[in-house]
Amino acid sequence: MEELKIEKEIAEEISKTFHSAEVTVKREKRVVVKLRDDLITPFLSYAKNNMNFIHLAHISCVDWLEDNKFELIYSLLNYDNKVMILAKTYIDRENPEFVSHTNYWDQAETYEREMREMYGINFKGNKRLTEFILEDWQGIPPMRRDFDTVKFSQDTFYNRPGRENAQDVRTTVTKKSGEEIPEIGKDYTVRNL
Amino acid sequence: MREKETTLYLGPQHPGITGNMMVKLKVAGDTVVKAETHVGYLHRAFEKLMEQRTWMQSFPIVCRICVPEPDPNEENLARAVEEIEGREVPERAKYIRVMALELSRLAAYMLWMGGQSGGLGLYTAPQWSVGDRDYILDLFEELTGGRIYHMYIWAGGVRRDLPDGFKERVLKTMDYFESRLPEYDKLIFDNAIFKKRTIGIGVIDKEKALEWGVVGPPLRGCGIKHDVRIDEPYEIYDKLEFEVPTVEGGDIYARAMVRRREMEQSISMIRQVLDKMPGGPVYNKVPNPLNWYVPKGDAYVKTESARGEFGYYAVSDGSLKPRRVHVRGPAYVHGVSLLERILVGANISDVSPIMNSLGVCPPEIER
Amino acid sequence: MAFDIKGIISPFNALKQFGKTPHTVKYPYTKKEAAERYRGFHFNDLEECIGCGTCATICQNKAIDMIEIEGIETTTGDSGLRPRVDNGRCCWCALCVEVCPTGSLSLTKDYLHVTDDPDSFLWTPGVDNPDGEKIKSWVSDVEHSLLDYQRIPMRELEGKERVKSFAEVVLGYSEEEAREEAARCIGCGLCTDNCPVHMHIPEYINAIASGHYDDAVRLIYDNNPLGETCGKVCTRRCEDICAVSKRGEPIAIRWLKRFATETAANKEIIAEIVEPEILPPNGHKVAIIGAGPSGLTAAYYLAMRGFDVTIFESKAHAGGMIMYGIPKYRLPLDSIDKQVEYMKSIGVKIQYNTKVGTDITFDELHKNFEAVFVGIGFEVPYSIGIEGENAEGSIQAVNYLREINSERNIDIGDKVVVIGGGNVAIDAARVSRRFGADVTILYRRRVEDMPADWEEIEGAEDEGVHIKTQAIPLENILDENGRVKAIKYANAEMIPDPDGGRPRPKIIEGDEHVMEVTTVIGAIGQEADYSFFSEDIKEKIEIKRGRIVVNDLQQTSVPWLFAGGDISNRRADAISAVADGYRAVKGIEKYILEKS
Repeated sequence: MEELKIEKEIAEEISKTFHSAEVTVKREKRVVVKLRDDLITPFLSYAKNNMNFIHLAHISCVDWLEDNKFELIYSLLNYDNKVMILAKTYIDRENPEFVSHTNYWDQAETYEREMREMYGINFKGNKRLTEFILEDWQGIPPMRRDFDTVKFSQDTFYNRPGRENAQDVRTTVTKKSGEEIPEIGKDYTVRNL
Repeated sequence: MREKETTLYLGPQHPGITGNMMVKLKVAGDTVVKAETHVGYLHRAFEKLMEQRTWMQSFPIVCRICVPEPDPNEENLARAVEEIEGREVPERAKYIRVMALELSRLAAYMLWMGGQSGGLGLYTAPQWSVGDRDYILDLFEELTGGRIYHMYIWAGGVRRDLPDGFKERVLKTMDYFESRLPEYDKLIFDNAIFKKRTIGIGVIDKEKALEWGVVGPPLRGCGIKHDVRIDEPYEIYDKLEFEVPTVEGGDIYARAMVRRREMEQSISMIRQVLDKMPGGPVYNKVPNPLNWYVPKGDAYVKTESARGEFGYYAVSDGSLKPRRVHVRGPAYVHGVSLLERILVGANISDVSPIMNSLGVCPPEIER
Repeated sequence: MAFDIKGIISPFNALKQFGKTPHTVKYPYTKKEAAERYRGFHFNDLEECIGCGTCATICQNKAIDMIEIEGIETTTGDSGLRPRVDNGRCCWCALCVEVCPTGSLSLTKDYLHVTDDPDSFLWTPGVDNPDGEKIKSWVSDVEHSLLDYQRIPMRELEGKERVKSFAEVVLGYSEEEAREEAARCIGCGLCTDNCPVHMHIPEYINAIASGHYDDAVRLIYDNNPLGETCGKVCTRRCEDICAVSKRGEPIAIRWLKRFATETAANKEIIAEIVEPEILPPNGHKVAIIGAGPSGLTAAYYLAMRGFDVTIFESKAHAGGMIMYGIPKYRLPLDSIDKQVEYMKSIGVKIQYNTKVGTDITFDELHKNFEAVFVGIGFEVPYSIGIEGENAEGSIQAVNYLREINSERNIDIGDKVVVIGGGNVAIDAARVSRRFGADVTILYRRRVEDMPADWEEIEGAEDEGVHIKTQAIPLENILDENGRVKAIKYANAEMIPDPDGGRPRPKIIEGDEHVMEVTTVIGAIGQEADYSFFSEDIKEKIEIKRGRIVVNDLQQTSVPWLFAGGDISNRRADAISAVADGYRAVKGIEKYILEKS
């Protein structure tokens, strides 16, 4: 398709330079690059200096608890052709560590501070991995999937009295009919309590 | 003689921002030597909460990320889900969305005018602008059922069609706004005090602005033409005629003038939208929200909000709930790394106006 | 400093504001009217509400509790609970309104709540603001609701195609359709109360919606081993009270069950999915008379609990009425075989062609088994009670269907009249259509009075069956060979019942007609044949209106004798028979364990 010409050119240049990169043109103005974790720094440097992707829009982290991985996503923007690159990589979830990119972008510092706090990722080279949003946080980093928010709120706060007489509809119906829901059904039962 | 350095804690309540945020200043005399942003007063863990809720239940949450201008959040999340799912949005809904977005931009600028000039001692301005903003809130109340949190735009379109006679009332309000703009010029933008306190203050280096991640009016105030609405037109912005005003200077005044001119553009856009709006449905129904499985995938979408580029990165793992929704508010950069940099060398009395001119909004830093 | 004229004049600028509408609050103070669709406090129409709790489920602030309200009872189709809102948590997003299936919940223009009592943040809509009805603003309607009120249509063979063969009429959902249909469910579970078996309906539908079909099958087999049969021919009382049906089409619960059970293609796959937990033999023996739905169900769950179960079936095939009464275009033989074979694979023994009373005496059963379950069904048809009924060319629908389902042919000619309005009548009519006959149903009352399923009636009409209502048969007219050649019937008018019952048909004197026919098929009901019981037993058990009286666990007044199916319940459908069988298992288990 002709309208994705620029995107395809960018994808091609990346593929040529980084052979192991998995490059896809997702849609207009979006190019997704999946890289080995050790290639992120060279890639960001190349994209910034050689391809004019000078704007770091954000760094995001996704916790793939089941795969024991964190996914890091670096979003870069080129002001001339307005194309965005999402550079993705996986890092190990146990003792997560990654390279800091504060020397490339000022704003990376803030993103890395937050990820240190919320996911527990240590960004080596960031001199300011200090407390950011949370205060005196002792528990596991709260944005990790295994952090139980409901339990946290139950342990931290109390409910105002007056709502104890709430009932569950499904339980009320089974009580009337005598139905016994087997163990495998419990995951599928819709509860309103 | 070298002046003695003192530490000054500015905030968490102060006139520079909408919300609570503290700036720790090291000052020598009246001059800031070092600034450090401290946030955490408004952390409500919206991103985490969304991971525990279904996609539809997330919509009433995101609007609270930005009080003055909730609509870009709703629109962004809606568009992110729609992109992941490949869901079509009816044409009319897109027009209504743009109308809501521009109305909320106007409302946000009204509030900003109050904050910016009020912080400089022009106390009439907040009375006027907040009062005028209420006329937009009235429109929102009529359209969405809520004045501040609209919860109106959601996946698949918008919740309700325009009420009867709404178009005329919007146009009337726009006419009124247009007639008010010269008065605001007299009161604020041409005001000698305003100019004196803003020209040459809080300057962002044009050469570095892009690299520092400056977006929105602060970037256009550096003379750089960058606006998501033309760079990556979403909804129906490509069908509207509008200018992206830029002003050279990079100071508070330049940013103010960008916003001032954008108000005219917004008024014109709302008129165009109402003029071109097609008929038809406004909502492409999503499945029952209790059983709405969004296919695996991710999407990064962005909107030009009143304070700059608002980005949403949403990831679905194919379940009922979002795997991750990452909100990238403009203040995340403006309020921390940029602010800490440009406050150095500023006069203490200019700290608040500088923050206000950058559109620092702590809820979107903390989410 | 020079004299500054501007400084003196400028303040007079303000005069131009004179006479303009002020932007401030007007005096005297008038309260601002909230917008037409303002999202203020909740209002709930307590009469409309059925307590499904979807509002509480969707609330992302957990602001809604379902509570008991004085004067509202838990009934079938209404949990008796009503929402109460914690206004300290509510954010007035109106998601609760958007998912309310009945439309009872709405938001009002009211947004001020001033009180001295800090604990008064709890608010029961409708109870605390009975006047809210008048100021409803954000309301739920079908157009804007987030629920889907349209059912995914079931694909069927066309009427013209259908009559050519006995191929299954209903084609079943595709995976995509099934998931889409399942997604409509709100999971309230009100439907389970109206199901005689109390199947785990919201759970298996949810499992289908999430793509876990195996779990759906397991949940279905948990208390119904004839899930596939029910998925095809159930009378689905559940759908009658589906919360979504209040304003739209109910969830296609039956078709979803059909979809789930059909994902298991044969008995091995069923066993692999269900992984029945079969207890080791406990040495107790139970006899079951009749391999119909109730008998099969009892046998299946007894066998799983370690009992030694033998079914005595008089015919060559298991299934009872579902085998011999339901035409194959509704329930194919393969499907029955699959289900029966699976039951046999877990240890159910069936002795075919063994009629109790003829091939084996009832006393023998009593001697050799610790408990006996009777599920013989209603097989003896009522006579129509008209002249010429026993002539050649006048047959009974149950016999007719049994012969056809046994793949024996009966010549019915080309002009058939079926008498009756139940499912058996419709079945006989539709079967006759498949043999090319021109079919007319004569029914005493109106179409809306017909006990048959509306889908069946519609299906019959699609296939070209004529339905003649308010027609009462009077006499079979015979030809010289004593064969039926015509039927005489009279038109009737409906006389309202003074006691409030349903109207009765009354023959209009003189409005008599004669229709030429080749066959008359009677289908006005059946009864049981209890002749195999010994006199002793007959005396001990109580038979009321042709049905054996049993307790909650299907036990008769003779402790070791249990009964179920058509002979003990008045509902006359497969699912009730399954329910009886399921209950009898508990009864038999209790009886045997208490005895030993």
